Amino acid sequence: MKLTDAFKAAASGIRHARLRSFLTMLGIVIGIASVILLMAIGGSAQNLILSQVEGLGSNLIIIIPGGTNSGRFSSPATAQGIVIKSLKQNDVDALRREPAIAAVVAEIRGQADVVYGDNDVTITYEGVTSNFFSVRNFETAKGYPFAENDVNSFNHVTVIGSALANTLFGPTINPLGKLIHIKNLSFRVMGVLPKKGTGAFGIDQDNLVIVPISVGQKQMLGIDYYTDIIVQANNAFSIDFTKSRVTSVLRGNHGIANANKDDFTIQTQEDILSLLGNITSIMTLFLAAIASISLVVGGIGIMNIMLVSVVERTKEIGLRKAVGATHKDILKQFLIEAVMLTAIGGATGILVGSLLTALTYVVLSHVLATGWTFVLPPQAIILAVAVSTITGLAFGIYPARQAAKKNPIDALRYE
Amino acid sequence: MISIRNLKKNYDGEGAVTTALEDISFDITTGEFVAIMGPSGSGKSTLLHILSFLDRPTSGSYAFQGKRMQDLSDEELARIRNEEMGFIFQSFNLLARQTVYENVEIPLIYNANIPPELREARVRAAVAAVGLDDKLYEEAGKLSGVQKQRVAIARALVNQPNVIFADEPTGNLDSASGAQIMEILARLNESGHTIILVTHETYTSEFAKRAIHIKDGRIHSDGPLTRRRTSKSDFIK
Repeated sequence: MKLTDAFKAAASGIRHARLRSFLTMLGIVIGIASVILLMAIGGSAQNLILSQVEGLGSNLIIIIPGGTNSGRFSSPATAQGIVIKSLKQNDVDALRREPAIAAVVAEIRGQADVVYGDNDVTITYEGVTSNFFSVRNFETAKGYPFAENDVNSFNHVTVIGSALANTLFGPTINPLGKLIHIKNLSFRVMGVLPKKGTGAFGIDQDNLVIVPISVGQKQMLGIDYYTDIIVQANNAFSIDFTKSRVTSVLRGNHGIANANKDDFTIQTQEDILSLLGNITSIMTLFLAAIASISLVVGGIGIMNIMLVSVVERTKEIGLRKAVGATHKDILKQFLIEAVMLTAIGGATGILVGSLLTALTYVVLSHVLATGWTFVLPPQAIILAVAVSTITGLAFGIYPARQAAKKNPIDALRYE
Repeated sequence: MISIRNLKKNYDGEGAVTTALEDISFDITTGEFVAIMGPSGSGKSTLLHILSFLDRPTSGSYAFQGKRMQDLSDEELARIRNEEMGFIFQSFNLLARQTVYENVEIPLIYNANIPPELREARVRAAVAAVGLDDKLYEEAGKLSGVQKQRVAIARALVNQPNVIFADEPTGNLDSASGAQIMEILARLNESGHTIILVTHETYTSEFAKRAIHIKDGRIHSDGPLTRRRTSKSDFIK
């Protein structure tokens, strides 16, 4: 029996039992579509998270107060809710003198109510040095960012997020030049940020209030330390070298001799990207593994219905054997039928999964406006094709062998 | 063509051995029309299954066209069944949802000697030989009983076999339809095909030239049929 004839016989078997074939395939279609959709969502989520970290700026090193004790995955003390006051102005000054460093941004962060007229919203505010806007790639959609002079002069000026501007002023009032009130201080709105979505570490950048560091630190919080310091490495030096220089400068400033007793944590973008990349990859694999369970269930469905089909077609098997089909011919025909069912199911699953992925993209990117990207990972498609074919082979072999083993005389007599 | 000596067939079942055939010996030469007859349970179908290579004997020897069955593998038996034997069954054994063409084509699929481009001519010739040219692309399940058996005969003829085995070919047909089928078999025999027919109906066997009677698994009688029918009207009477 030629392979083309085996394919024709298998196709004929599928064609003449359309409903049964459709129901058999359904399990595989759902399984493959689930794998594609979940891997695509995982891929998109990974892209979104990584792009947010990359959106922090380039060549950045983040210094957080508090040590991490040991281990790459242990969180710094501040992340555990402990207030550490180790990062101060002398650190910023020392870092600014370091040739490997192009820029140093000091930051403080707090929460307060912002009031304009009758509107009162609780927001996160950031006090930053004026170079924050260039280092962090924050441009304004309206107005301008504040300058060094505003920081030095304790000017009560602010740049606010787009959603907050809309909440406070509505669509008709131009926020620029208006006075908003935070902690009994009045700030003149100098600029409004474009829509930026949620930034790295879950900060809602569209509801942010950015004020000069001097005002934020001294007048709003009344502290002499910083929440974090961001260092931009000089292009002429490697990140690793700059990181070692930052470590050295801070240890010198803080009088630390033992490396295990650092009262600060240094993270590069690469560290964060690698950590988040690992986490999201594991999540994606985890989702794919869950979806794969449905493929196994689909495979068992194929085996079940193929076994029923073998019993139903006992007479056909007997006839084919009587007129010259060998054990191998029958095995081939039924195995190809199972693989064809799963292959068609797999192809349909890829199509359905892709459509659902596109639909998810439309909903999440346009309706929720989260900056979601369309990702259809090729490895998901390769995995889907491979798994569906293997499923067909694995779950088709037993029914096919049952068919091939049939005694032609008993098969011909079967009623 | 066929030579059988001291053939025996036992079946093992639940601790007891049943003898279906015992001490069967005969020869069939090319061009004969032989009816194997006997009451139900006599062993005639078992004998047909062995003659047609669908089953193996427990002991004794069987040679088909000089080839001894015990020397042949299952694959070789399947090849000989395909190329040198044709089969007609009582219940037609057609694939009901496939067309006449697809049903008749089945034995050609397993014949490595017939290239695919020659298949259509073979199918058309076989279907024409049973007078169903106009039904070529009809679903087999929608045909009448006699038409189905004609399709089965076309399927048996398509590989141009030396011998045709017919197992109660008129068993599911009325007498007029049965007569049509027997006429076709008689015509095939006249054109040189060896026909081996299993039947328990005397009037069907009378189309054959020789009758082998089986009783309790043994040959009861073996000889030429003196009273032969050759036409449909004679058969229906």
